[in-house]
Amino acid sequence: MSFLRRRKLFIFLIGFIVLVALIGFSLRDRANLTIAEQFVLDTVGFAQKVVHTPVNFITDIFTNIDDFRDTYTENQVLKEKLAEYKGLIYEVQGLKAENEELREIADLKESDQLRNFTPIQASVMSRSPERWVEQVTINKGKDDGVAENMAVITPDGMIGKILTTSSSTAKVQLLTGFDQFNRISASVSREDSDKDIRGMIEEYDEESGSLLFRIIEESDKDLKEGELVFSSGLGGVFPSGLPIGEVKEVVPDQYGLTRTALVEPAADMYDINQVIVVDRAMDEEEDTADSEEEAE
Amino acid sequence: MKRLYLPLILFLFLVMEGVALDLLPGSLLTGDLLIVPHWVLIFLVFITIFYDKETTYFSIIYALTFGLLIDVVYTGILGVYMFSYAFAIYIIHLLNKMLHGNIHVSILLGAVAVILSDISIHVIYLVAGVNDMMWKDYFMTRLLPTLISNLVFLVVLYPIVVKRLTTWGQEQLSRSNTL
Repeated sequence: MSFLRRRKLFIFLIGFIVLVALIGFSLRDRANLTIAEQFVLDTVGFAQKVVHTPVNFITDIFTNIDDFRDTYTENQVLKEKLAEYKGLIYEVQGLKAENEELREIADLKESDQLRNFTPIQASVMSRSPERWVEQVTINKGKDDGVAENMAVITPDGMIGKILTTSSSTAKVQLLTGFDQFNRISASVSREDSDKDIRGMIEEYDEESGSLLFRIIEESDKDLKEGELVFSSGLGGVFPSGLPIGEVKEVVPDQYGLTRTALVEPAADMYDINQVIVVDRAMDEEEDTADSEEEAE
Repeated sequence: MKRLYLPLILFLFLVMEGVALDLLPGSLLTGDLLIVPHWVLIFLVFITIFYDKETTYFSIIYALTFGLLIDVVYTGILGVYMFSYAFAIYIIHLLNKMLHGNIHVSILLGAVAVILSDISIHVIYLVAGVNDMMWKDYFMTRLLPTLISNLVFLVVLYPIVVKRLTTWGQEQLSRSNTL
């Protein structure tokens, strides 16, 4: 009997050691998943694709019923907006032509622009049931050109970045799961581009439910509520011009030297179906992404 | 072939957990409450009670495998669910010797399993620094809603699986039980 009891204790201890080793292994900064993990992710991904379709069909029916109720009011608003857009289109066409001319004069290539990117359409297959880990899985992977650290957006704004990839799936870390190690260089634009308010999205603060935008270069102190924060593209990982969120409040930091803006993410993090993975067009050396993370 | 049923069902639940949150109304997701589906664990509890004999440990082996799969697929932090599920199922296996399997015992043991594993997950994540939730908040916003929702799932599942598990258990474990 004592042998049996000792054996159980032994197994428990070994289990504990394995646990610690596994956690240590997975919390390390891993660039790539092991082959076994990728295999599991691809297999489960395939099953998720199968399951996702009927589930999506059912949830769609419920959203459709909701949509019908709002259709009339929405239609009125949209008609008004459409009228506005017609004017805008002319303006945009003019600006585009002018922009191109200026670019030719300045001799810039397409890929030199921070703003340019190649979109990869994807749909969300599953969301991590563990609510502390803010991850979703999408149905595009390495084979479709998705790679680590690419930004992921919806039409409303940025929702996160690619964390890991396997050959046919990829995991997206949502903005709500960003910590100090995932920073986004961001800016609030001003009419005079030299006066843009630049800074860094540092992390997601769960208490206030918003992203912390540390303002580094504050030309004037007129940052107001409701202003849009965009990615600035200066960090070297994400392209510029992706909307991130709206300023909710501006608070001084504990030393009173800099100020931090609380930014509410523009995109809904809970109702995501279709996403676009942003492949930054600008040619860059392979090591830029790594070196930037170190530099920040 | 019949031996493959259990892993297949567990795998199905694993995949379903990923879309489980889509099925809940959005107001529950954006609110403070954190509801975590532990469907795999609930089915493992059924396996422990109705499939496993006192001397067989299939449920613990499944708990280890599918816990690890959940880690790989959904969290990326290996070992957490594996350890927590195996630990909870082991305790259930011990308790099951004293109790006779019926709906009340299933609910009781299901509750014990969810509480044990979820607290264990919380402790490991606390130590690893993945989250920093206060204990009081944890009990109110995560443990309680998670427990209730998973027990509802258990009660719904009970009439569907119990008879089948018992027959499979008798068929498959009476001949060979080497584990």
